[in-house]
Amino acid sequence: MIEFQHVSKQYSPDGVALRDISFTIAKGELVYLAGPSGAGKSTLLKMIAAMERPTSGKVLVNGQDIGALKRAGIPFLRRNLGLIFQEQRLLNDRTVLANVMMPLLVTGSPRSAAEQRARAALDKVGLLDRADAQPLALSGGEQQRVSIARAIVNRPQIILADEPTANLDRASASKVIDALHAFHSVGVTCLISSHDEQILDAAARVIHLERGELMKEAA
Amino acid sequence: MSTWLRHHLFALGSALVHVRRAPGSFLFNILVVAIALALPFMGVTLLDNVRPMSEQMAVEPELSVFIKADTPREQATGLASSLRSIAPTAKIIFTSREKALEQLNAKSGLSDVVATLGENPLPDSYVVKLNAFQNAAEGSKIDSIADQMRALPGVESVQVDSAWVKRLAALLGILRLALLLLAATLATVVVAVVFNTIRLQVMTQREEILVSKLIGASDSFIHRPFYYTGALLGLCAGGVALGGVALALQPLNRAIADFARLYASEFQLAPLDPMATAGLLALSASLGLVGALLCVQRHLSRLN
Repeated sequence: MIEFQHVSKQYSPDGVALRDISFTIAKGELVYLAGPSGAGKSTLLKMIAAMERPTSGKVLVNGQDIGALKRAGIPFLRRNLGLIFQEQRLLNDRTVLANVMMPLLVTGSPRSAAEQRARAALDKVGLLDRADAQPLALSGGEQQRVSIARAIVNRPQIILADEPTANLDRASASKVIDALHAFHSVGVTCLISSHDEQILDAAARVIHLERGELMKEAA
Repeated sequence: MSTWLRHHLFALGSALVHVRRAPGSFLFNILVVAIALALPFMGVTLLDNVRPMSEQMAVEPELSVFIKADTPREQATGLASSLRSIAPTAKIIFTSREKALEQLNAKSGLSDVVATLGENPLPDSYVVKLNAFQNAAEGSKIDSIADQMRALPGVESVQVDSAWVKRLAALLGILRLALLLLAATLATVVVAVVFNTIRLQVMTQREEILVSKLIGASDSFIHRPFYYTGALLGLCAGGVALGGVALALQPLNRAIADFARLYASEFQLAPLDPMATAGLLALSASLGLVGALLCVQRHLSRLN
């Protein structure tokens, strides 16, 4: 489903973000990316979403070479991905429900259908009762769960989460991870970056990065 | 409802939502664009009112053909057939020197002065009323007819009475060109104002644009609301400018009425007809759209 073939990313002669990375993630797998800050975890996730292009090597998603993807094809790739960021990137000028509806509206879904599915997604992350609230009125953990609802509302094949628990307390982090595991359990492929040892210890598969290099894989 | 229509309705809705969020700024921009549009719109209205006048005046241009003083009467009256051959459709009226003197005495009240001359100084003449011209632009034909008449034996001179019509037509031509240049300059101003308005909106909505891109919005989905905003700005400004011109016609018409009365005329400036009004509104919206297109190409394509 996701395949990295000798991928390197270099921003400048001294700025190597990734160096000769190769791995494969099968459909329905839950994989954690571990490593200290600056290890290249975010760059790796961005490459899968075509936010960055490899300097060399190939990134394949469902057999499609992301590096060779034309600009017009990028939105269609991203509609099959659920992206979750450390800073939730919710739009504070609209309600929680409107935020979750956005991925559906950009694909041309009717507003009523989009609202119905957005409410269902909010229900899955336990925030249906906060649908009409403004994002700033929610706690950090709740905001992250809203961003998860936004990521899964389009029923993506893959969820990419970049440090989704970094700014959360233990209880909130636990709820976020539980929500991600719930989606994995219904067949969604998940790639989650984290440096939370407690979460990583319980993971089935962990890819360790350090200074842009693949150090080891733990299973 | 088709997806295409839904996308456009969504874009229009988004544009209106953003206008509602900052109505003061949008209204100010409408005012600036309307001021830029008002001047050429006023020019168009004036030209539209004056053009029928110049066309009407050019319908029957006249030539006065003066016969040499020593030409015998028979030869003078015989010239009618030669004039007819040059201008077959014209109305040709012979005025004898005696009749011309009578008219001069009757019209000008100079009978005492004329009496002191002793003899009639006026020549026999023809008035040739041409009726083949459709508008002032065809006025150049009259020169060739006058030249042919001048070459006839016994003709002293030919006076083109409609020369002023040609001058008016030429003046209108210059005015039209000046208006075109003014309109082009002010259209650039309109595009620049819309460009800047959209640029500020892109900056304000930067986060929304970036998030939209990340959740799979296509470029056209992101660009469309800005196109609608630009077109809406142009359309509203066009409406305000046309309204302003219509209001300005009221005091202008009062002043014109006083002036026209001196010439026994009822001339009044009328607002543009609905077709022309719709055309100018469409043009205003198009200018807004062009400004938005240029801005989106310049600024949005950089956001990725």
